[in-house]
Amino acid sequence: MRRVAVTGIGLVSPLGHCAAEVFERARSGRSAVRQLEIPGAHRLLAPLAATVEFDGAEHFEPPQFRLLDRGSQFAVVAARRALADAGCGLLSDQERGRAGVFLGTGMGGTMSIDDGYQTLYGDNSDRIKPMMILKGMHNAPAAWIGIELGWLGPNLTYSTACSSSSVAIGEAWLRLASGSLDVAIAGGSEAPLSLGSLKAWEAMHTLAKVDFANPATSCKPFARNRSGMVLGEGAALVVLEPWDHALARGAAIHGELLGYGLTNDAGHIARPSVEGQAAAMAAALASAGIAADQVDSINAHGTGTQANDVAETAAIKRVFGARAPRLPISATKALHGHLLGAAGALEFVLALLALKHQVALPTMHLAIPDPDCDLDYVGGVARVGAAGRTMVTNSFAFGGSNAVLALRAAD
Amino acid sequence: MKFTSPNDTDIRIRAMLVRDFKIDPSSLRLDSRLEDLGVDSIGMAELIFNVEDEFGLKLPDVAVQLSTLAEVIGFIDNALAEQRAAAAGPHPAEAVPGAT
Repeated sequence: MRRVAVTGIGLVSPLGHCAAEVFERARSGRSAVRQLEIPGAHRLLAPLAATVEFDGAEHFEPPQFRLLDRGSQFAVVAARRALADAGCGLLSDQERGRAGVFLGTGMGGTMSIDDGYQTLYGDNSDRIKPMMILKGMHNAPAAWIGIELGWLGPNLTYSTACSSSSVAIGEAWLRLASGSLDVAIAGGSEAPLSLGSLKAWEAMHTLAKVDFANPATSCKPFARNRSGMVLGEGAALVVLEPWDHALARGAAIHGELLGYGLTNDAGHIARPSVEGQAAAMAAALASAGIAADQVDSINAHGTGTQANDVAETAAIKRVFGARAPRLPISATKALHGHLLGAAGALEFVLALLALKHQVALPTMHLAIPDPDCDLDYVGGVARVGAAGRTMVTNSFAFGGSNAVLALRAAD
Repeated sequence: MKFTSPNDTDIRIRAMLVRDFKIDPSSLRLDSRLEDLGVDSIGMAELIFNVEDEFGLKLPDVAVQLSTLAEVIGFIDNALAEQRAAAAGPHPAEAVPGAT
């Protein structure tokens, strides 16, 4: 197996548009969750979201722009940024054949589909726009990246709900490590903030209530007064390549992707399983060839729902045993919301940056501890010097696909 | 091709093609094949969709085979004429058999 380097980061996120900005905002605990202003927002019990400052028209010529759902716009812009950061330039014809795109999305082009349904059911009109299928399909973001880059290898879309983009990064890692590909762009994109989507999440009773004292603090992972998750939008992509290739071309390496664990609960469609989550963490360690005591800190899935945070706490204890209480655990969804199919990738990037800067990122809005969540979540304030060299980052999902990535600092 | 001064439909279609498909106005001739200018079959479906809004037309829900700008203009003018005729009153040939 070949070692795999992360050489490029591309972000379109609620916390900002470049790694330095996003890291600084996460480090200082400034939440991007705010009151959501979309038509019909007054019909939401909790009109909250972590939105991205983004006007797609600034990034695309009209002939292409009209074909792109917001999620595809995020994906292509993030891909451009990741490639620019990697500095790998144009690939030769032969190289393009060994270059792949691996993208996660939970809800695909749901805004475009919502728009079509508005026409059909809301307006009672049959005038569905001709581009609805092309904009709405789940594989559109990956396809557009492939078209833009001219990459001819696998162009794959993973949809395992909230673990989608960790799966995408992990599956890319497998192919790079095994030698079947020489470069990949991997991550996720999600633009889920349509009224239809928000109402559906609301109906499941998974969304946080508004904290009226300060709506930006409404998502409270691992806190006793947590009430659910807040949806976010955005994209996060990384460029992955074999370590030796990165060294040979003198690339700046952000960190190493060590391994990937993937398990399925095969149980309840929505209820998290301690066994499944623990098995995924163990599988990631096994794939990375490291022992549990070599892990220095954890990026938690940490959604802020009642069920997840208790189960994840128990799963971490199961894997790390007596060391579990001493591991700094960060849940950054408090700040950037839950990006669903892009969440794992954004958090993978934050974990990379935490290792690079040697800072354990804070879990914000954790003023009231939960006796059932009794580990060290780095509540409220970043901890300088505490991230260590090796991390795991967790992504769990409705449907039961648990994906965990193991990563290490570059030097 | 015989020279004709552009009619209203011609002017408006050209404006839409320039706006929506970023086509260089100087490359738009009546005998231009729109596919050569980047308006593929899906683009044509979208153009027709937008034409309905732009011209206040209701076109039949069938795929149309139009390749040149002149054909598109002719198609729209024809539809506009039909719509005007329909608004003016039913054509005797369209009377429902047995209704009298």
